[in-house]
Amino acid sequence: MKSLDELDKLREKLQAEMRIREGQPDTRVTVAMGTCGIAAGAREVVTALLEEMKKRNVKGVTITQTGCAGLCHYEPLVEVEVPGGERVTYVHVDGDKAREIVLEHLVNGQIIKEWTILKK
Amino acid sequence: MDMEELAEHILDIARNSIEAGATRLTIAVAEDTEENYCCLSVVDNGAGMARELVRRLMDPFFTTKSGKKVKVGLGLPLLKDAVERCGGRMEVHSAPGRGTRVTAEFPYHHLDRAPLGDIAGTIATLLAGNNHLDIFYRYNFNGREMYLDTREIRARLRGVPLDTPEVLIWLRQYLSENEEILHGGEDYEIARRAG
Repeated sequence: MKSLDELDKLREKLQAEMRIREGQPDTRVTVAMGTCGIAAGAREVVTALLEEMKKRNVKGVTITQTGCAGLCHYEPLVEVEVPGGERVTYVHVDGDKAREIVLEHLVNGQIIKEWTILKK
Repeated sequence: MDMEELAEHILDIARNSIEAGATRLTIAVAEDTEENYCCLSVVDNGAGMARELVRRLMDPFFTTKSGKKVKVGLGLPLLKDAVERCGGRMEVHSAPGRGTRVTAEFPYHHLDRAPLGDIAGTIATLLAGNNHLDIFYRYNFNGREMYLDTREIRARLRGVPLDTPEVLIWLRQYLSENEEILHGGEDYEIARRAG
């Protein structure tokens, strides 16, 4: 059972981690969250990303959201931008793919090219 | 979506609010199985809209959004359709500079009624990448009530961003567990007797 006491302990742990990581740029993971993205399952993608990042103890990643990208037929879309690296857009992402993206791209640094459409 | 959920419609409405510049959202859901009543509302402190725009909001593909991004204009028409399918009604109140209120009321017991669904996931998702967004969420089930104010959570975090993945995971589980307990009628940390 989650409690506010547990949140206090989590805060202490995160404060210590923030001190270690201070000044280092974060990897940015952006999920398109327009009506089309939401209808296609973008919320499940966000929760899957969060859960897998926690499971794999992934640090230094910010999950953010944006509106419709104009590629409604490719939704849900997930864009990953590693500091100093290329921006990669994954398409037709679901919960399973989101977990795999965390493992392969964020943890192992390997782009899953067959799931991507655009690179900028 | 595999199965229509009211929580996903709420997410869509709230996303509109954020894109309209809202920094604070009040999301309220009330369900009463005995009174056969269900109500949801999303109230924001965004830019608001003139009356003539509000009248057109239910027109499919009408949007007030501007800029380079693509706008679809289907969020509110889809919700209206969902609400009316189950015998309910939906209203939008807005005024320039005074924010917007979207409310929907419908019978609780209806064959076509979409379930509320993962509202905790909706709240956590709204906060992802929106560290400065304040959400006040109130859920009332058969007269028993729970609420969550992100300002209280943020104060407790003492500088740790609210949208840190571990915090969002905690928040989602915390809300889900309290919602389950609320349905079961037990005592719980963030719930209290209504009134």
